[in-house]
Amino acid sequence: MFRNTYDSDNTVFSPQGRLHQVEYALEAVKQGSAAVGLRSKTHSVLLALKRSTGELASYQQKMFRIDDHVGIAIAGLTSDARVLSNFMRQQAMSSKMVFNRPVPVNRLVSAIADKAQVNTQEYGRRPYGVGFLVIGQDTTGPHLYEFSPSGNSYEYYAMSIGARSQSAKTYLEKHYQSFEDASVEDLIRHGLHALRETLQQDKELTTNNTSIGLVGPASVHEKAVPPTGSFRILEGEAIQPFLDSMIAKEGPAAAQAGVPPATAATTVQPAEAAAGAAGDEDVQMTG
Amino acid sequence: MTSIGTGYDLSASTYSPDGRIFQVEYANKAVENSGTAIGLRVKDGVVLAVEKLVHSKLLVPGVNRRIQTVDRHIGLATAGLLADGRHLANRARDEAASFRDQYRQPPPLKQIADRLGLYVQAYTLYSSVRPFGISTILGAVDKTGPALYVVEPSGVFHGYHGAAVGKGRQLAKTELEKLKLSELTTREAVKEAARIIYLVHEDAKEKEFELEMSWVGDETNGIHLPVPKDLQTAAEQAAKAALETFE
Repeated sequence: MFRNTYDSDNTVFSPQGRLHQVEYALEAVKQGSAAVGLRSKTHSVLLALKRSTGELASYQQKMFRIDDHVGIAIAGLTSDARVLSNFMRQQAMSSKMVFNRPVPVNRLVSAIADKAQVNTQEYGRRPYGVGFLVIGQDTTGPHLYEFSPSGNSYEYYAMSIGARSQSAKTYLEKHYQSFEDASVEDLIRHGLHALRETLQQDKELTTNNTSIGLVGPASVHEKAVPPTGSFRILEGEAIQPFLDSMIAKEGPAAAQAGVPPATAATTVQPAEAAAGAAGDEDVQMTG
Repeated sequence: MTSIGTGYDLSASTYSPDGRIFQVEYANKAVENSGTAIGLRVKDGVVLAVEKLVHSKLLVPGVNRRIQTVDRHIGLATAGLLADGRHLANRARDEAASFRDQYRQPPPLKQIADRLGLYVQAYTLYSSVRPFGISTILGAVDKTGPALYVVEPSGVFHGYHGAAVGKGRQLAKTELEKLKLSELTTREAVKEAARIIYLVHEDAKEKEFELEMSWVGDETNGIHLPVPKDLQTAAEQAAKAALETFE
């Protein structure tokens, strides 16, 4: 019934020094639909793929605003994410009250990471089943962090989490060196290209299933953004101009833009299709 | 291992018939899988260095630190589960703050190591928790001079002239033993530390790595700080050169 003797609770080390319950929690993150994050000198952006349970249902929320300067995208158990994001909001507010300044992004991410670590060491709890990509700006500029249920957090130039995120990661690793000096429009276009890699064969990105979150000065397609460039989430018609900016995968244009050759994408697909199909069954808790 | 499948290795609160606590031994395995961390106690201070294995090229270099500051004069480097390291560092900060609160003076490192030892040991007593999957190197200059301690997952701690934990600790220890640690200056020790980390890193097996170093001593006015950039680059260049002549 169990995959091995050492995986039934999180207070047990395996003889190799591994924590299987924590590793399984990391699998829960891969059940959620993908989210992608990128950073330039001036902006941080998040892009996420929303799921719906059917044609008559609405799409599950994938992004949350934490404070004026911080936002997150999630993959995994949405209910766990709501608990953790509430905690982040409280931390952000208390920082404003006590220190009279917005909380540094690193502090916020470390705070939830430390909270998650406790759930990997004590009996009677389970590790959180959700991963975050956190973007924000503070006195040291824009940032992108990944938080995972193991209690680890890392700062990245670009990262992806969730179902089939490896394909997006491959895209990001190929292009990340150009992100530092990219305009926000280019950054979002790269993000959409990376997110597209996580789609099933017959699906595409639409105004319904895509969310874009960003911090930094307004892009050319946005109106009424405060000069501080605080965190905002773009959905629906607002993202149409960005979807239009994408370069088609096939054809000569794709080759010019340096989009990975079609073979790279298709070789990944068969192996991951099975896992992906399971992930797409409407698990209500996963987002 | 003979323990596997006997049922004596599933809880920290269970002895095996020959008196071992396997969960603590398995916690040590978590340490052995991690990048190497070393500490050098020398004439005028302490140097800490870690081999930070880079699991993705998308990581921002220079951040995501594995050496932490506990008090103005105390540094802490861990090998093992990263998140456990952050937990223990937070506890160490609480201990240091509480000492300052009571005695109105900077805590001697021995006091902090002692308190952390007790804390870590408590996690080897109960089935409701697991032991810490980390070995911790503590370094400081206090009123007794330079000090270096290692706290293990079992809760025992020892003082050292030179300490090494993690994957490459055997080779690192042999290299440390060749040095005359009590005659070195921190500036020289930084170069040696860089050389040892570069030496123990297994190029073939492992992915890329980043060298992270910190020091405390006369050079820093008794404050625990990252090694300055120019010295770090010089030490890394010297380490790479030494490695080529070594091979």
